Amino acid sequence: MKGEQLRRALEGYIDKMPPLPTSVGKVLEICQKPNAQPNDLNKVISLDPVLLARVMKLINSAYYGLTQEVTSLVRAIIMLGLNTVKNLALSTAVLGSLNTAHTKNAVLNLDGFWLHSLCVGVMAKHLAKMRNIPQQDQETYFFCGLLHDIGKVPLNNRAPEDYLQALTASADQRISLVQAEASTLEFTHTDAGALIIDAWKLSDDIKDVVSYHHSPLDYQGPYRDLVFTVLVADYFANIMEIGFSGNRFPTPPSAEVYRTLGLQWMQVEALETQVRQEIERAKVFLKLS
Amino acid sequence: MNVTLWGVRGSIPCPGPTTVRYGGNTLCLEFRYGPSNRLVIVDAGSGIRPLGVELMKTDFPHGPIDAKILFSHTHWDHIMGFPFFTPIFIPTTKLGIYGPVTFEEDTLESVIGGQLQYRYFPVTMAELSAQMTYHRLQETVLNFEDDLVVKTKYLNHPITCLGYRFEHEGKVIVTLFDHEPFRNLFATEVDHPDHDPEIFEEGEKAAREENARIDAFMAGADVVLHDAQYTQKEYLKGRKGWGHSSMEWAINAAARSGVKKLVLIHHDPERTDDQLDELQNTYQRAIQARSAPGRPVLEFVFAREGMVL
Repeated sequence: MKGEQLRRALEGYIDKMPPLPTSVGKVLEICQKPNAQPNDLNKVISLDPVLLARVMKLINSAYYGLTQEVTSLVRAIIMLGLNTVKNLALSTAVLGSLNTAHTKNAVLNLDGFWLHSLCVGVMAKHLAKMRNIPQQDQETYFFCGLLHDIGKVPLNNRAPEDYLQALTASADQRISLVQAEASTLEFTHTDAGALIIDAWKLSDDIKDVVSYHHSPLDYQGPYRDLVFTVLVADYFANIMEIGFSGNRFPTPPSAEVYRTLGLQWMQVEALETQVRQEIERAKVFLKLS
Repeated sequence: MNVTLWGVRGSIPCPGPTTVRYGGNTLCLEFRYGPSNRLVIVDAGSGIRPLGVELMKTDFPHGPIDAKILFSHTHWDHIMGFPFFTPIFIPTTKLGIYGPVTFEEDTLESVIGGQLQYRYFPVTMAELSAQMTYHRLQETVLNFEDDLVVKTKYLNHPITCLGYRFEHEGKVIVTLFDHEPFRNLFATEVDHPDHDPEIFEEGEKAAREENARIDAFMAGADVVLHDAQYTQKEYLKGRKGWGHSSMEWAINAAARSGVKKLVLIHHDPERTDDQLDELQNTYQRAIQARSAPGRPVLEFVFAREGMVL
């Protein structure tokens, strides 16, 4: 499958897309406890891009008809209550635990993918903090970093054989994965990501990050700082090989990206220890080795 | 616009010698408005049974019953009277049924009608002859006949729950049950391993803002009927997260929101008539002592069955 055909296949898959296997066990463990703790619930949902996106989607959906948009999970838990959010998470997690057939042919290791996503989220948040972005916006940087590659999940799960071609082309031709996707599949993970963001009605800032994190200089919208920060964090995760998202030949961010952010690579590298520590804490929480 | 209280108790009906004066039926309010004395009922606790009997005497002889029932939520004490509401068995009755449903697959009809099946009750939903329509509600504004505006607001309760604000000809009546003040669920001790200052701050802000929204929802109302199941002392003693307010919270919230009359409702089933009398005196004195001279004193009363507002 490629191009339009691939798009249609993914569209059908997105609504039943399960969370990542890395966090499913912990979600079930926490949500099935009668005395689930708000902190645990917040943490486990925040650590899974699919779960987080789905929960935020539901909270902001027509189902609740809330008059103001809720962008923070902490607020969602306080507003809608622990039980409601627990049920949302549980119903999504069950998808992942019952239906494992979809990942058996997966070409991208989903634990590695999870680690990459988490690293980009954590780094984007630390970069925001270092650059004095207001505290209430720092979570958005995390959220967008965690979700930036979400389009790879349906490609990997729904069309593993086709996706293998793209991964192989990237390795053989030593080109970035997004270029390889474009040449072999005529459809990239940024296209697939945008499909998800539209289908789940997530906000424009996330959509722009998902769509433009490989083509920052084409971007004309209002979330330039966010898009650029996430792509720097993405490059960091790839170069440091923290997790793996299939991109062995990442394109270095251009000088304009650093100039716009008022940032130097050295400052990014200096955050490595902090970022690794935060990732370790998440792993301990999920009981990963 | 006036309101008659047919049930003021929370949790479970509790008839007996200690609840004779305030009443033992669970929540049900009869709300009348407009030139043709239209009927809106809030909640169908056990108090809706005597209301149904009364309607058959007063309204039915003049024509078919045409009413709306607004459910605050679908916990049992708020729906249990529904199968005993006589008008549902009359073919000419028209009922618009409104309420929220917690996130799940079931519809409002099956959640409320779920109690009408043979294992619980001798009549099933399919056998009811009234003409009923169901409307799942969110936060919204409803425009009912004869210029009644009803605004809804999500409250804090273990399931999805709505407060109602009725506005008609310049008068405002608000129901806030079942409701617990929003609180920061992420308020861990500083030395707790889960403590995160950013999450703590976000939680503080969210709780503060959500409580301010509730204040705004009741602002300037002529009458507010507010959940007050516990005293503050009881609330702090292991009842946090149960979805109910303390009397102190309700009084303070009403006072700061410029409410004219506060009616405390959803009494705990253990609360006796004598205790309620005593609490009325205690809080009355406290309110008077704290009122600024020259400013109107918040009028407040504990809800009683049969009370007309």
